[in-house]
Amino acid sequence: MTSLASWTSPTSIRNLLVGFVARVPARVQTKLLVAFLTIVGLLIVLGTVGLRVLSGVNEQTDVLIKQQRKIAAYRQVQHDTTNQLYGISTALLFPDDKTLDVALGQLNQFGYDLDRLEFVAKDEPELIGKFRTDCNDFIDVMTQVVKLIRTGRVDEARKLQRDSAAPLADSLERHTNTLVNKAEADMVTAIETTEQAYRTSQIVFIAFALGSILLALGLGYVISWSLVEPVTEIGARLRQIAAGDFTQRVRVVNRDELSTLASDLNRTSEELGRLYRQLEEASRHKSEFLANTSHELRTPLNAILGYTELIQDNIYGDVPAKIREILERVQSNGRHLLGLINDVLDLSKIEAGQLTLAISDYSIKEVVQTVVASADSLAAEKKLLLRTEIADYLPLGQGDERRITQALLNLVGNAIKFTEIGEVAVRAAAVDGAFHLAVADTGPGIAAKDQERIFEEFQQADSSSTRKKGGTGLGLSISKRIIEMHGGRIWVESELGRGSVFRFTLPVRPNTGRASA
Amino acid sequence: MSKRILVVEDQEDNRRIVRDLLKSAGFEMLEATTGEEGIRLAETGRPDLILMDIQMPVLDGYEATRQIKAAADLRHIPIIVVTSYALSGDDAKARAAGADGYVAKPFSPRELLAKIRQFLPS
Repeated sequence: MTSLASWTSPTSIRNLLVGFVARVPARVQTKLLVAFLTIVGLLIVLGTVGLRVLSGVNEQTDVLIKQQRKIAAYRQVQHDTTNQLYGISTALLFPDDKTLDVALGQLNQFGYDLDRLEFVAKDEPELIGKFRTDCNDFIDVMTQVVKLIRTGRVDEARKLQRDSAAPLADSLERHTNTLVNKAEADMVTAIETTEQAYRTSQIVFIAFALGSILLALGLGYVISWSLVEPVTEIGARLRQIAAGDFTQRVRVVNRDELSTLASDLNRTSEELGRLYRQLEEASRHKSEFLANTSHELRTPLNAILGYTELIQDNIYGDVPAKIREILERVQSNGRHLLGLINDVLDLSKIEAGQLTLAISDYSIKEVVQTVVASADSLAAEKKLLLRTEIADYLPLGQGDERRITQALLNLVGNAIKFTEIGEVAVRAAAVDGAFHLAVADTGPGIAAKDQERIFEEFQQADSSSTRKKGGTGLGLSISKRIIEMHGGRIWVESELGRGSVFRFTLPVRPNTGRASA
Repeated sequence: MSKRILVVEDQEDNRRIVRDLLKSAGFEMLEATTGEEGIRLAETGRPDLILMDIQMPVLDGYEATRQIKAAADLRHIPIIVVTSYALSGDDAKARAAGADGYVAKPFSPRELLAKIRQFLPS
């Protein structure tokens, strides 16, 4: 059982989420669509919240402005009242037309400001009602006072002003103060409310924004990993298949296109594995068949060659010159056939994995000399110069001497076979723990497009040359296999019309691991 | 007195060739077609040299060689093993079994005779 601690660790939460998203039985497209729509939805909510916060702030600003206007209007009325009292007092002291006009003007202004006040403070009908009554009374009294002054009854006017106007002004002053105080209190409340609302909105907005970002990141992460993990797994599996391992299966928890892909891959892998095993078996049967057949072919052929040689050696009596000549043809054809059979046998053994190297110490110089001695008569027949360039100091090598000789002999034999004029040179040197051998000829050369192909079975650069020059086309591939079994490498450097150089390397001390007992 | 050579070989034509070769070279020849017969003839015929084919049914040439070399009164007889070309590493196996010489098939009669003369100079 998994412990609680490991369930709550970040890795397991991640695995849990990734696994969950992977297991959702929906197409990848749908999952991506849902994720994007979720993010879009959150952005819409975020926008809406933002707009609401803005309009809330706007409303509060409106309220504040209104309060501000109210206060200004109250103050104006207060100011008017004071002005009015002052104006009348002046008129009482200097009852001329000019001061009276000023007082009347102020009275008009008073009325105008009062209208304005009513307009901005519509929400306070009760207070405004009382205020209006007092104001109207005040205006009436003032109008009377002005009338009295105008008619010269200054004493009466003074009395009326003192007894009626002053108390009304006081009352107005009180009312105004009450209104101002209330408006100021309202303003403070409004400011506080605004601030509170702003702070709340800010928190909500930030929370939504953070939530959206986290959700978007989380969804992206989880969905991408739910895709990346199976894709990585499938990729690894494909690499195994490419490397020839058909036994593994992809295990994907997804229930979307990737699970289809994974199960398709598993089926393909099984099918490939089955075909591969069939092919391997068929190939082994073929190689075994070839090996057996070649062996069966060789036995009678050996007998033919043996009898021929005995006849040539006059063991069954003297042989007439004419028959002797024919016997030579029999023998050379027989040897040729034997060479072909041996090539087929060698290659099928190599392919069937039955060829083991008999590792022992050898001298590469001796190998070269043996090869040159064997090929000398062939070269002489075609009037070709066969020469060697062997480095002075060559270490003792380790490998299957007979097979290495065979590999080099194939190269030299080919060089002689394909060269009509000039020379064949065999070079041997040792560099950095490896022998470097080269067989250079002055033959027709090999086109670049054929230089890889000639190392494959049954391939000659020009298939017409098979008929012309003979040979199975197996020699080079046998040489290649032998050299590679020793851990070496073979390649050709050539250009049409410029001859060819076949080069190969052989580790002086190979680590073949195939040494036979 | 001519030298006596035991040829252990299951294949008729190969025996015939070797027989004709050896007769013309003046050797006396004993013939065995199986490994068991070869061991018996080695004991009774007292050959001066044994030519032993490797590929034989039941008791192969390695085993026959091993048994002859294990017998105190026979181990002095030189044994030339004739191996199939196809089986690389046969020379080492032949030496391990106690063979004194080694010829790979396909051998030319001339080469075989030269090899025999290494052990039985005329």
